[in-house]
Amino acid sequence: MPARIRFETVEEGDELPARDLLLEKDQVRAYARAANQWSARFTDDDGARKEGLPGMITPGNMTMGLLATLVEAWAGAGTLRRIGTTFRGLVLPGRVVKLCGTVTQRVESDRTVEVDVWLETDEGERAVIGTATVKFD
Amino acid sequence: MILDLHLHSELSDDSRAPVEAYLKLLRRRHGERPLDGIVLTEHRQFDLRRDYRALEDQYGFLILTAAEVETDYGHVLVYGVNEDILGRFDFTNVRLPAQEVIGEVDRLGGVALPCHPGRPTVGLCSHYASKPALEGVVAVEALNGGSKKGEDERVQELIRRYGYGAYGGSDSHLVSFVGICATEFDTAIRTIDDLVGALKGGGYRPVDFRHRRAA
Amino acid sequence: MPLDLDPSILGQEFDRAEYGPVTAEELIAFARALGETDPRYTAAGPDLVGHPTFCVRYKGKKFYPENLPKNINVRSGFDAGKDLELGVPVRPGDTITVRSTAHEIYEKTGRTGSMYFVVIRFTMTNQRGETLAVVDNRFMHR
Repeated sequence: MPARIRFETVEEGDELPARDLLLEKDQVRAYARAANQWSARFTDDDGARKEGLPGMITPGNMTMGLLATLVEAWAGAGTLRRIGTTFRGLVLPGRVVKLCGTVTQRVESDRTVEVDVWLETDEGERAVIGTATVKFD
Repeated sequence: MILDLHLHSELSDDSRAPVEAYLKLLRRRHGERPLDGIVLTEHRQFDLRRDYRALEDQYGFLILTAAEVETDYGHVLVYGVNEDILGRFDFTNVRLPAQEVIGEVDRLGGVALPCHPGRPTVGLCSHYASKPALEGVVAVEALNGGSKKGEDERVQELIRRYGYGAYGGSDSHLVSFVGICATEFDTAIRTIDDLVGALKGGGYRPVDFRHRRAA
Repeated sequence: MPLDLDPSILGQEFDRAEYGPVTAEELIAFARALGETDPRYTAAGPDLVGHPTFCVRYKGKKFYPENLPKNINVRSGFDAGKDLELGVPVRPGDTITVRSTAHEIYEKTGRTGSMYFVVIRFTMTNQRGETLAVVDNRFMHR
C-alpha cells in the first residue's frame, strides 16, 4: 500500500493525485447490481433510450463512490467523515472520466481537512462536483 | 481592476464554498488569477445585513454582494440591490418578468444583467429565438466558468447582433473555481455603487484565467 | 406552476424500513464495483467494513410521503445529488433501519428549465441504535 498523507504535511491548495478512469459498461452494471440500482437506465443502452436518455448512464451514487474512493486513497481508509455531491450532467459509460480533488481548508483544532472533489468528462465538463471532509488521527 | 462578478457561497443552496476559503485561494493563486475582489451572487436571495468588511480587511480583497434571480428569460444577476428593489421584487419567485426586472432595477438604482445566456433552452439566446428581445440590456455574461462547450461561443453572436457589453464570471459553486473567469474594469471600484456605475458606463471586458497554471 | 406545499409534511417521518443482515459478499461486491482495493473494504474477515458510501444501497420502502404537492411528477425524475454524513461503519451481520423524512421541497430553474427538488433524508442506524449515516437525497422532477 502506498504511504498515506499525514495531517501535518497537508496544506491548503494541495491537489489530490488525479485519477483517469475508463468507466467500462460492465463496471457500471456491476455497481448497479451491488448497489441495488438494477434498472434499464443504468444497465442497457436501448432501455435507457426508451427513457429519453442517450444510452445507459452512470448512477450518480457511483460517481460519488468513485470520488470517495479517490479521497480515501489519498487520506487513508476510514478517514472520510462526510461527502456531498451535486450531479450536474450525465456521465456516460464507455468513456474516460477524470477524478480530481483539492484541499481547501485545514482545521488544526479537530485535525480535519475539507476537500473539493469533482469528476470531469472527456469533454472537460465538470459533471459531478462536491466536497468532502476527512478526519485524521 | 479585476473582479469575479458571478459566484456563490454556502448561502446558495447548491454551493459548498465558504467565503473565507475563496479568499484564501485567491491569495494563494494570485499569480494565475490576479483578482482584486469578488461579487457574491447568491441564488434567489439577498440580505442587506450581510457584512464582509472583516474578511476584506483580513485578506485585502474587495467583497461585494448581489443576487442571481430567475426570470422568464433565464437567470439574471442583480447588482446594487437595495430596499426599494427588494420591496419591488420577490427574489424567491422563479418566474420573475425579465423586462420588468431590467427596467425597474435600473430605475431603482441598480443594474440587472442576464447571465449564462448561451445555455440551451434556458439561456437568453434560446429565449430570443422565440420571444422579443429585451429592452435596456446593458451587458451579458460572455464568459461563464461553468459553461459547456459551445455555450460561450453562442453568446458572441448575441453580443454582435444587439451591441451588448460583455462581462465574465466564474459561476463558482466550489472554492477551487473562483476567479477562473472574471471581468477587468478600466476604473477603480470600491463600492457597489462604483460597480453599478461602471457596469452601466462601459470600460470593461471578460477575462479568462481557466488555462493559467502557476509557474 | 408554483408549488402547493403543505409545510407540515416537512420533517415528519413517513417511512421506516429494515434490511439485512448485511453479508460480507454484499460489502465486498460494492467496494470492488467502485474499483476499491483497500483490504478494509475488500478482504473477508473480522476487520471487513462497508465502503463509506455503502449506505446509499438502502432506501425507504415508500420513497415519498403521501401528500407531496400534486404538481410534482414523481414518476419521472433524476437524482440531483447526495449529502452523506458518516457514522460508524457497516459490518457483516448488521441490520439497517432506514427512517425517511421529507427534509426540503423547493422549485428552481436550472440548465434544463423549471424543476422541483425534493430532498428526502434517510437516517440509518444499526441494530445497536448507532448511526451509520444520514443521507440527504436530492431528486429533481419536472
